[in-house]
Amino acid sequence: MEAKAAIHNWEEDMVTRRDLGKIGLAAGFAGTFTRPAWAADAAQTAVEAAKQYSGQTITIVWEAGLQSLDPLNFSGPKWKELTGIDVKVVEVPVAEMFTKIMQDFRSGAGAYDALNVIPAWMPDLVNAGALEQLDAMVDKYTYRDELQKIASTYRDNQMLVNGKIYGFPDDGDVFVMYYRTDVLGDPALQAAYKAKFGTDLPVPPTNWKDFDQVGQFITEFTNGKTFGAAFFREAGYGNFMFQERFRNEGGKFFDGETMKATINSDAGVKVLTDWLAENKWAPPGVEQWGFVENLAAFLQGQTAMTISWPPYGRWAASYGTDQEVMSWVPKSTIAGKVGYAMTPGGHPELAAGFCLSVSSASKNKEAAYLFIQWLNSEAVSLERVKLPYALRDPFRDSHFTDPGYAALWPEAKDYLAALQAGANNGLLDLSLLQTDKYEEVLRQSVSKLWAGEDPKAILDAAAAEWDAITEKIGVDKQKAVYADWASKSGAYPKM
Amino acid sequence: MTVAAATALRANPDRNFRYWLLTPAIFLLLLVGLFPLFYSLIVSFMRIDMMDTDTSFAGLYNYANLFSDKRLWAALGHTLLITVIALPIELVLGLAMAYLFLEKMPGRQIFISLLILPTIISPIVAGATWRLLFDNRYGPINQVLGWFAGHPVTALWTINPQLVYPAIIFCEIWQWTPFMFLILLAALSNVDRSQTEAAAIDGAGFLRTFRRIVLPAIWPVMAIAILIRGLDLARIFDIIWALTAGGPGTMTETISVYTYSQGFKQFETSYTAAIAFLVIVILTVVVVWAIRRMGLAK
Repeated sequence: MEAKAAIHNWEEDMVTRRDLGKIGLAAGFAGTFTRPAWAADAAQTAVEAAKQYSGQTITIVWEAGLQSLDPLNFSGPKWKELTGIDVKVVEVPVAEMFTKIMQDFRSGAGAYDALNVIPAWMPDLVNAGALEQLDAMVDKYTYRDELQKIASTYRDNQMLVNGKIYGFPDDGDVFVMYYRTDVLGDPALQAAYKAKFGTDLPVPPTNWKDFDQVGQFITEFTNGKTFGAAFFREAGYGNFMFQERFRNEGGKFFDGETMKATINSDAGVKVLTDWLAENKWAPPGVEQWGFVENLAAFLQGQTAMTISWPPYGRWAASYGTDQEVMSWVPKSTIAGKVGYAMTPGGHPELAAGFCLSVSSASKNKEAAYLFIQWLNSEAVSLERVKLPYALRDPFRDSHFTDPGYAALWPEAKDYLAALQAGANNGLLDLSLLQTDKYEEVLRQSVSKLWAGEDPKAILDAAAAEWDAITEKIGVDKQKAVYADWASKSGAYPKM
Repeated sequence: MTVAAATALRANPDRNFRYWLLTPAIFLLLLVGLFPLFYSLIVSFMRIDMMDTDTSFAGLYNYANLFSDKRLWAALGHTLLITVIALPIELVLGLAMAYLFLEKMPGRQIFISLLILPTIISPIVAGATWRLLFDNRYGPINQVLGWFAGHPVTALWTINPQLVYPAIIFCEIWQWTPFMFLILLAALSNVDRSQTEAAAIDGAGFLRTFRRIVLPAIWPVMAIAILIRGLDLARIFDIIWALTAGGPGTMTETISVYTYSQGFKQFETSYTAAIAFLVIVILTVVVVWAIRRMGLAK
């Protein structure tokens, strides 16, 4: 009861501090009062159990930048207030997270207690012994029922390794297609499109052929004033984009029998060839675009369509962008003019995402576990996914249907529906032993494409490199891991 | 103990004590200097990677793999390419600037201070700054080029194969030419003026004076500067990491970038140790050859 009262107190503090009326969070806040009794249990159980560790400090690895503002400004201070446990946040760029976690584990330093882990890394980390198996603690602290409320895509595919729990899915990352309703709905544009192609302009396009046709037409119709679309093209992001589109085009990463790489199939070559063609009507220099460049162009109204992670949708609607920490986000000129849909092909990439795990080298495993249970619980996670600055995206069924969230901006309900549809139809990142080696080859392939190399030659070389990696790891060993991954519901589209 | 030794010890009662005083420093040097080297050497004969911590003796397995690793040799080639282009340019520019600032002029000290600013910036910061400057969308370089061209310029400096090496070498030269300049300025300042003036009176031109009088005088310092910068370029990492991360593809991957990637991204610990020893051997051979060739051993 005391803990419940404390939860209410910090929720009230939060409202005062952030001027939530301005951004509509009050509705979400009200929603938390009406949550079912069981929803608070996991959080409450964690708080009560954690009080025995009052005065201790737990260290958690979190992605540097906006993501870290969640434990720094919100969840960390609240956990301290509720349990007396300090939370030390170690900010690490995503590109270095795996390395830092492994280094800590290998050295036996035990500097980290709790971890943010990208689900695709979990087989490697578990294989190395770096992650603590959580099943026993899940049962001890009665979290299993609430875990089941995580959206099935994340729960079934990103939580377990060899049937055991090693992380709690905590971020519903999924690619979403954003399109300008005012541009695609422009009667003059639609009429011209119909005159040229003899068909109605699809709003939104649902396959890549239509997407490219519409995109190119918009660029030509507006004479480049508004480009039809822009994309992530920088190699790090291109890896995810390739994985998604390749599978939507019918591609398979490996021959399941021989474990020979098949990324150099016609589907792979088509993806790279189409990318080159798209660059011709996309903004100049799009080959270098990453998250920020693409975001800026879209929010400033320079592009009519794009594909990205969920925060684009929130920021396009100007949700929370008036806060100081969000000052780097360009002011949206398109609020109220954005539609949300699944990416062409209907199977968006569940790109990256985060799970919360406990380090096997930790000297405070129990306290670390209780913190991540509390963070991941229904009650607390709902607040966290609504933090405008923290980049955590809805990942529980209740997040998608939360009336408070749906009231945050006029189109928020559609936004949540698109996220849920994406989650239900999404494609998992490839996850094997030493996944990063395979992904590194893809990143280099994308970069070679922009350097002017031939798509077929690039993918032939990439396939040869994948085969060499597989040989080194052991074909049978990797084949078993791939078979396990490929059997998951989100591995390949159901054609 | 002989009578003579006993006499010597009586005459120098603290002779052994001084060695005891040196012991902690020597122990520390061995610990931080030689131990990691020997430990890496031992690791290079094992098979430690992300999946496995197999510490049994693996023979020359990792060293044998070095010879079939095309990416490794390509990375060494890229390192060599950057070195042979950047080093002479830095030397010539540094020398020219040193000559320029040899004479007394108003504001000389201020200009010299400003010129050496790039050298004191962290290379990773310099690389990140240049990446922003080269950025197609936000960087001023393409904008300025666009003013001259009369139309927007879309030069993708960090991914276009034709532009990426010039961009890297330009950044490297920008940052480290002042280092060359500073050292050569000090060397030139110590050249005996009476000799150069006598040569001028005898009718010797600039090149002849430089070759016969100035160069021999500054050569020991210049050779050391070349050696230091050559070794720096052989280890070039930060600017490349910040600008291109070795891309496009692996086109600008240097040996340091490749070693980092193998060691800290792919966790090929034993193989990385073998690469490190290959680099040590190559650099040792080159440096010994260079020291002899430059006459520094005399």
